[in-house]
Amino acid sequence: MNDGRDPFLPGASSPIARLVEAFHRLPGIGPKSAQRLAYHILRTQEAEAQELADALIEVKRSIVFCQQCQNLTSRTPCEICTDASRDRHSICVVEEPLDVLAIERTNGFHGLYHVLHGVISPSDGVGPEDLKIGELLARLRDVETEVSEIIVATNPNLEGEATAMYLARLLRPLGIRVTRLARGLPAGADLEYADDVTLGRALEFRQEVQ
Amino acid sequence: MHLAHLALTDVRSFRHLAIDLAPGIYVIAGENAAGKTNLLESVAMLATTKGVRSGPDLDLISWQAVVEDPLPAARLEADVETAAGKRSLEVAVIAQVAVAGVPPTRAGKRFRVNGVARRATDLIGQLRVVMFAADDLAIIDGPPVNRRRYLDLTISQLDPAYLRALQRYARVLEQRNSLLRRLQERGGRGLDQLDFWDDELAAAGALILARRAESVRALARDAADRYAELAATTEETLEIRYLPGVPASVQEALREHDLQAHLRAALEAGRVEDVRRGMSRIGPHRDDLSFLISGHPAGMTSSRGQQRSAALALRLAEVALSTRRTGDPPVLLLDDILSELDPRRRERILHVAYGVDQVLITTPDEDRPSREELPGALRMRLFEGALTPIAPFEAG
Repeated sequence: MNDGRDPFLPGASSPIARLVEAFHRLPGIGPKSAQRLAYHILRTQEAEAQELADALIEVKRSIVFCQQCQNLTSRTPCEICTDASRDRHSICVVEEPLDVLAIERTNGFHGLYHVLHGVISPSDGVGPEDLKIGELLARLRDVETEVSEIIVATNPNLEGEATAMYLARLLRPLGIRVTRLARGLPAGADLEYADDVTLGRALEFRQEVQ
Repeated sequence: MHLAHLALTDVRSFRHLAIDLAPGIYVIAGENAAGKTNLLESVAMLATTKGVRSGPDLDLISWQAVVEDPLPAARLEADVETAAGKRSLEVAVIAQVAVAGVPPTRAGKRFRVNGVARRATDLIGQLRVVMFAADDLAIIDGPPVNRRRYLDLTISQLDPAYLRALQRYARVLEQRNSLLRRLQERGGRGLDQLDFWDDELAAAGALILARRAESVRALARDAADRYAELAATTEETLEIRYLPGVPASVQEALREHDLQAHLRAALEAGRVEDVRRGMSRIGPHRDDLSFLISGHPAGMTSSRGQQRSAALALRLAEVALSTRRTGDPPVLLLDDILSELDPRRRERILHVAYGVDQVLITTPDEDRPSREELPGALRMRLFEGALTPIAPFEAG
């Protein structure tokens, strides 16, 4: 044994404690999960641990922001921005890279994206200048731009709304149509269980039956 | 409405208490520190989701549970019967244990209505209570935040739209104040970034102002009548005035449709000064009420007895408001307030108690209020965390 301390006890300055702490810092990982992951790593083959370590380093070294849409990518401009089959007349503006994946899954949008990497939230110290809004303006001011519509797909909460309104006011003078995702009842929902606010909005923005 | 069942598990001094209740008046006698106030405050918490006393939610969990249970939690459950039907409510306060063996420092709340997980806003108003307590005096002679809190707890139980507006207002105000400080650091450039927050603050703020003005008008009218009955002499009067935290131009629009536009304009006009001060100076978060007894501010010149009458009159007016708005009287909670009153005022309070479906009265003295004063009341004794009925013949 080493200096008499149990290397399995949390709080000890052992390699295990360091690994547990490193996992605990990840989002969504509590102390229990962190311990479980660390002990799992201990039990695996060294090659497997090496693979994980390599993947972690690789992702940090090779992933960059796409110079156009600001999404995370291994090459810039990214696959979506260089895809000739995509519609260059509309850009969907989202908060985070994961939102691009969510919208891609719908197969309902074939235009381009722009990732803001956040939303306006003064209490978190985030203003418009902290987001990738300047980069969006640069894209739209490009003489070769064909963009005629910006679809703002920020989340339907206070900060998402604030960001959407800021963008709308900024972009309208450029003569570009600015739209916002519709809000209402989720598919397969039960009216009885819908909250008043959502149901109220669904009523307010009801549509003609086609 | 009335409580048909109440169960408390690990709530303050109660390890486990469960009791079936019927419509009627209950007199709950117990010695000091027997848990009488905890019992009534638990019922109030099922109505408002908030503790009556300020303080961390963690304090609601029985200390024994915190020491002994690996996952300490306080659970408050009630079955409520209303004119609209029966419902079951649950509030759980759950300690957040980060590391096993280390005492928790925070707690979270979970709510259920009819067994389904819900948000606090869905629970509030399902059970309505009016609680009379000795510290009601702090509404009258305490700081303005007490009076705003009083209005919020009262109106929220009656009006879900008000509650939603309050929550939205609080979030928008926090963001706006943060932005004001940011703008201040930059020497006031970029004021148009306030546009969105001012729109939202005006929308939620106008609703809050209008509903408070309307509720205070109703409360003031009833409270004046009740005070006249409670006061010792006929010359004494009680007047309650709403003092909105907005400029005169907005106050004049309080009953108009364009209140929101007036508030929005006042916010915009006040931006430069708001940035200079780094805070929002205009809006319902600066509201107050004034209580005038025979024309003089109640906090300063009136006697303790007059202030007490004013607090009682306000609570009685709240009972009337709650009944009138919903058509179903609230549950009354009287926390050891009767023993301090003279027979005449006691009689006025008990008169109202017979007008609602259910009343829970706590008292340190089993024989006060007396059986003559409260014929038909059910009497119970609270001792070591348990409630037991007192048989009628015990009364000697």
